[in-house]
Amino acid sequence: MIVSKSFRWSDSRSMTAMAAALALGLGLSGQVHSDEGVLDTLQVHGFLSQALIITDDNNFFGPSSEDEGSFKFTEIGANASLRPHEDVLLAAQVLSRRAGGDGSDATPKLDYGLIDYQMLSDQQRTFGIQLGRIKNPFGFYNQTRDVAFTRPSILLPQSIYFDRTRSLALTGDGVTFYLEERLPQGVIRGQVGMGIPQAEDDLRQTLRLDSIPGSLDPEQSAIGQVRYEHDGGRIVAALSAASAKVHFDSKAPGLNDGDFYFKPWVFSLQYNQELWSLTAEYALRRSGLENFNNPRLNFDTTGESWYLQYTRRFLDDWQWLVRYDSLVNDRSDRSGKEFEASTGGALPAHSQFADDITLGLQWTPHPRLLLAGEYHHVDGTGWLPVQDNPDPSETSRRWNMLLFQLSLRF
Amino acid sequence: MRCLSLLALATVMLLAGPPLAGTTAVAQEAPILLVAHPDVNTRQLKRDTTRAIFAMRQRTWPDGQAVRVFVLDNNHPVHARFAKEQLAVYPHQLQLAWDRMVFSGTGQAPDRVRDQAEMRERIATTPGALGYLEREYLDDRVQVISME
Repeated sequence: MIVSKSFRWSDSRSMTAMAAALALGLGLSGQVHSDEGVLDTLQVHGFLSQALIITDDNNFFGPSSEDEGSFKFTEIGANASLRPHEDVLLAAQVLSRRAGGDGSDATPKLDYGLIDYQMLSDQQRTFGIQLGRIKNPFGFYNQTRDVAFTRPSILLPQSIYFDRTRSLALTGDGVTFYLEERLPQGVIRGQVGMGIPQAEDDLRQTLRLDSIPGSLDPEQSAIGQVRYEHDGGRIVAALSAASAKVHFDSKAPGLNDGDFYFKPWVFSLQYNQELWSLTAEYALRRSGLENFNNPRLNFDTTGESWYLQYTRRFLDDWQWLVRYDSLVNDRSDRSGKEFEASTGGALPAHSQFADDITLGLQWTPHPRLLLAGEYHHVDGTGWLPVQDNPDPSETSRRWNMLLFQLSLRF
Repeated sequence: MRCLSLLALATVMLLAGPPLAGTTAVAQEAPILLVAHPDVNTRQLKRDTTRAIFAMRQRTWPDGQAVRVFVLDNNHPVHARFAKEQLAVYPHQLQLAWDRMVFSGTGQAPDRVRDQAEMRERIATTPGALGYLEREYLDDRVQVISME
């Protein structure tokens, strides 16, 4: 099978999570029903997306403002799932993703690897537990944010699904409980998870700790989501909350260790009709660094993000989208002027917000093929990746971006 | 200011769109029936449970037996009618639900069949199978499940 290629695992935790999931799965597989082979339940799926990004100013996912633009946005994934027992699901996905940076970013990683035991399922409710590396249920899109076919646009609304600290929001290595309760008017679903998040270079760069010797060590974090689907999903509402912690182990002389915390709330609302959907999400993101003996490193801010999105299907396999998306890094300094002053003018005010108007078009000529194009007009660089724009003072406040993407799946 | 004008734009587009969900021309056709393997013990499913099973969120029959879900292609008229009339969801919502399950490790995709003859064959020969058929495709190798 496609997933049998040998991959270089990104870290030892992936291995541990996988091994735990496999061991549990094998332990339970002894009880398999004889009338249906377990291998009959094996499913293998995958996807591949390649984008072209062109900007007039600023760089997004590679040198997008130069020459013919950037092709450095590639997503490739493959997963396998198996039901060794009627109540048990084993699933794992490997993801290679490059979004700017150098080719080494595309090193395949274990995206998720879990065992799901649905211990209760009757006419009224289902209840289950997942162990392993689990995708965080955060807002409407986080769990499958890297799969183009599940996105309404090439880029998800960056105010909430920004890539600067994506590693932290992506997954947790731990345990999740879920409950689905069917009510007369709709379905309510709750999920609570505890685990160790990922903390990679993106977070370190965004916190501007990359120039300080030391390491980021993620600590026990928690996430929860309550989701209500009314009338078969005509109206969907969700509330997600998380508390993520990362310890900075300083190796710099004179600087002690510090801690990073991230406590976001997301309110999500969607109205669905056969041919159109209206989606809105609002997030409050509290984050900060604390416990450093250098007070200039410590901070505590609450950022605000929201978007309103209208998608419309037409001619069976087309969809267009319009979206307004807004981010401010600090609610008490919406214009970023105080921030600019505090840095002595070294970092521009426009790095503290971003308002993005997006127009998008998707065409699915075949269920396995998706072609998309979209245009962004952005005021501000609040979610512009740091690695693509190392010097914030050289960025332009107002910029335009054009993206094209081809996606395949099986 | 620009936020407001955009909100206004979105509202106008919502109101100006062509008549929606007015496609009730198929209302006269016979309902599509929920069909299962003959050994399945459950005789009746609630609509919410049926929807959870077809959305692949519930993996077993109420008595604990593993369920295997069979569906026609998204653009097959019988699939669209079954989704809308019996499950009260749109086919594109089902597809998105499956994609989200399959690519987040929380579930599997249903088994696809080409036509109703294959649907009947697979349901008749797969323990725990659940699918749907028009009445004229029924035979005594499958059982009809009633839906509350």
